[in-house]
Amino acid sequence: MRAQVSRRTIFAFIGPAVFGLAIVGIAPLLYAGWTSLHFFNLTKLKRIKFIGLENYWSVLTDEVFWQAMGRTFFLLCTALPLQIALGLGIALILHKPGLGLLKTLARLSLVLPMATTYAVVGLLGQVMFNQKFGVVNQLMGGANINWIGDPTNAFAMIIFWDVWQWTPFVALVLLAGLTMVPGEVEEAARLETKSWWVVLRHVQLPFLLPGLVAVLILRTADTLKLFDMVFTLTRGGPGSSTEFISLMIQRVGFRGFDQGLASAQAIILLIITIVLAQIYIRVFYKEV
Amino acid sequence: MNTSRSLLWQIVLILVIIAVCVFPFYWMVTTSLKTQIVALEAPPVWLFEPTLQNYREALFEDAVLRTLINSLIIAVCTTALALLLGVPAAFALARFEFRGKKDLWFWFITNRMVSPIVLALPFFLIARSLNLLDKHITLILIYLTFNLPIVIWIVTDQFRGIPYDLDEAARLEGASQFTIMRKICLPLAMPGVAVSAIFSFIFSWNELMFGLILTRTEAKTAPAMAVSFMEGYNLPYGKIMATSTLIVIPVLIFALIASKQLVRGLTMGAVK
Amino acid sequence: MKLNRLLCSVALASVMATGALADDSDWSYKKAAEPYAGTTIDVVFLLRPGYEAIEAMLPEFENETGIKVNVIKHPYENALGEQVRDFVAGGDLDIALIDLVWIGNFAENDWILPIENFTSNAAITDPDLDLDDFFPLVLDAFGSWNGTVYGLPFDNYSGLLFYNRCMLEEAGFDGPPQTWTELKDTYGPALTKDGKYAFALQSKRNETQSADSFARVLWPFGGSFLDEEFKSNLNSEESQTGLKFRQDLMQYMPDGIVAYDHAEAVNGFAQGDVAMITEWSAFYSTVVSPDTSSVADCVEIAPEPKGPAGRKPALGGFSLAVASQADEAEQAAAWLFIQWATSKANALEYLERGGVPARQSAYEDPALAEKYKFVPALVESWQDGVPEFRPRFAEWPEITEIVQEWGTKIMLGEVTTEEGAQEIGSRMETVLEDAGYYSGEKPLAQ
Repeated sequence: MRAQVSRRTIFAFIGPAVFGLAIVGIAPLLYAGWTSLHFFNLTKLKRIKFIGLENYWSVLTDEVFWQAMGRTFFLLCTALPLQIALGLGIALILHKPGLGLLKTLARLSLVLPMATTYAVVGLLGQVMFNQKFGVVNQLMGGANINWIGDPTNAFAMIIFWDVWQWTPFVALVLLAGLTMVPGEVEEAARLETKSWWVVLRHVQLPFLLPGLVAVLILRTADTLKLFDMVFTLTRGGPGSSTEFISLMIQRVGFRGFDQGLASAQAIILLIITIVLAQIYIRVFYKEV
Repeated sequence: MNTSRSLLWQIVLILVIIAVCVFPFYWMVTTSLKTQIVALEAPPVWLFEPTLQNYREALFEDAVLRTLINSLIIAVCTTALALLLGVPAAFALARFEFRGKKDLWFWFITNRMVSPIVLALPFFLIARSLNLLDKHITLILIYLTFNLPIVIWIVTDQFRGIPYDLDEAARLEGASQFTIMRKICLPLAMPGVAVSAIFSFIFSWNELMFGLILTRTEAKTAPAMAVSFMEGYNLPYGKIMATSTLIVIPVLIFALIASKQLVRGLTMGAVK
Repeated sequence: MKLNRLLCSVALASVMATGALADDSDWSYKKAAEPYAGTTIDVVFLLRPGYEAIEAMLPEFENETGIKVNVIKHPYENALGEQVRDFVAGGDLDIALIDLVWIGNFAENDWILPIENFTSNAAITDPDLDLDDFFPLVLDAFGSWNGTVYGLPFDNYSGLLFYNRCMLEEAGFDGPPQTWTELKDTYGPALTKDGKYAFALQSKRNETQSADSFARVLWPFGGSFLDEEFKSNLNSEESQTGLKFRQDLMQYMPDGIVAYDHAEAVNGFAQGDVAMITEWSAFYSTVVSPDTSSVADCVEIAPEPKGPAGRKPALGGFSLAVASQADEAEQAAAWLFIQWATSKANALEYLERGGVPARQSAYEDPALAEKYKFVPALVESWQDGVPEFRPRFAEWPEITEIVQEWGTKIMLGEVTTEEGAQEIGSRMETVLEDAGYYSGEKPLAQ
């Protein structure tokens, strides 16, 4: 039985959080909504004027915006499966019995990438992937690959760093899921079959699902938010090959100073985010 | 025989995992000890005479230390605030019945998904009109937008896993809900609280975009500082890596110390 | 120029009016600053040689005047955003650092004050200010908008051709190319071999793409951004010739040139991988210093090559202006600092420390050309040039973003020069239309 409590008690518990998040979360959104309906350029504040939905129209018909959107989802669709596959592999390796110390060491090293400042990852990428003095080309046997200056390679490099930084997170989440499997159930299963796949599919997967859904939600959100690492690594270049949606909005709003247009872009992004979140959470996630 | 071969494979794979995770840090630290000329040598050199010059410049000429302190103040305060607001809310979401609960929970979580650029534009204008630019408090507050959802998400799950009969006795004795939360449930939910605190701290320490847009000098954060050396005229790679090392070391040490809680708490709502 | 003289005479007149002409010799920064001692002024500096030079000289100014200069350092690419946000927010900056393409923006927003506000006050104006001593083109382009002088030229550049004499000689050339076509057709094939390249044109997608790459191939071929009516001129035959020339020239440049910023181009040259670059004068010290250059002894400098439309070298540089948001004491202190930093008296020291002053008098000594090989080419480049090399109106920050995006796409071959120019043109015209140039609301000034 859940507790029946008075409205006052509920409010006392939940009110401050709602209030706090409303101030920092909702107020700016309302402001952005207002801005998006105006011609609002930071360097032309004298000429602010109401223009209705014109900014939205410009965004919706701008192929550059949709290309950036498409690029963002392409990154999600390439990086996320890699992260889940590699993460699952790592989790299974670390879940095998034995090798205590080595596994502890591995777990410790897995914590490092996910704690690393994203902007630093990008800076590190510039140093390591440089065509001339980069260590990556050296380790690839003196290859002469132009990573940063070639659109396809630059995209591959972004995928690499995203996978490097977030696979450990996936691995640790899945590992935590694996340890939830009751020992006797797993042992019984192993006695019946030698195939690790069968064990994974029928015994372990149910315990992994909540974690996988959480990963799906968090990684989708983080890809839509992706900014820091790309900003310091390629700044969206060369050309527009790594210009993801958040970089584009930043460019319009804080380099072109067109806050009206950028707000409209931001609100459209927000709507897409909420729809995705609704789908994920309502469909996959265990209800409260 | 078969098992020893698979054991060998396991060892090799684990070593590869460790190497891939650690190598970039090795490279960052060694580059930070190189002079600009050595850093630009092609192909890169692995053995060289290390210098601390980059650290000297970063710490004493460019005041990286101050930005580190700013980052620390901001990350600690926002984490504390997120816990203070988030834990009671999570308790209510997990254990009280009320209308609109699902929507409220969903709204909290959605905030975690909002791109910071959506908020950065208007927040800048609001902070400007309230004269709050370049102040610690501004970042402490805005970081709540991603920390509060994380706290609520993880801690709600934890509270839900605590059986009700535990606090039955207390309730019969007339203890308030607040007392029940504090005395009975919170100690049991500690692993989740710890994980959410760790995440809050890490996310806040690492945040760049708000730091870049909402601060200038007084409250400038460490990631914003690292980016500020990126002049197209001359990239001082050694100094950039030295600054990066200074930024990353504290959070890595923190993460390593907390790694046990981190690994244990990442169950993300799996069956308890 | 008339205006400058006028201002001078105004200054002079006010000096005389106060009966202080005889006191000219008495005027000193120390005395002028007396009421403002203890004032702190905030200014944004870049991480470039010209700023390091003045920073090294700062203690001298601070000791003499008691004015404290608080320097906030930013990379170029952040400097505009930082300043705009500060001015919009009514922040702390007392001096604006203005790239020539920002001046229309800053002036129209009234973020900066005309120097006339201060030259009329003899107490805080150096009797030796002598505006006529600045290269007229530079003062006009860097510091003035719509005929009013706002800023004094501080960190000054002209595009120059840096060439590696040794590599050229080895390939049988006894001098640099005179024209762009010669550079491409004759020098290009001869110097591009064995992993070496004839040329590198920094083209990264930021201001470098607009200023150093895109605009650089427009003007010498007779092209321009805008025509008389402020419509796009990028699809004109001349502009297209220039853009196509750039595509052609890329075969003699290193791969991934669209990711090259100044640092990469200069490094390529300094390591001997690239025979020629067109770069700002400010890089002279980098390429001739043995610490940073392995080709120091081979470096020679010439003006940029000519095109069919003549020599139209890239023009860029910064002025310092007093910010209107500063209070009265800060404004006076800021004005004193700006005069001091750009003064005739300090020009030589500034030059020696790695800066490039815009004072004609500083370059009079013929011996300088021996010591600083870039001086003759620089002086020649500043004799006449195109002030609107990049339009300087308030809309430039938006337009440069468009040019950067599509300019790099053209180079990558993702769109043709015609398609790219069409995209830039129509997007640019939308910005200009919104700004009110076509309705006659705004005068056609660039």
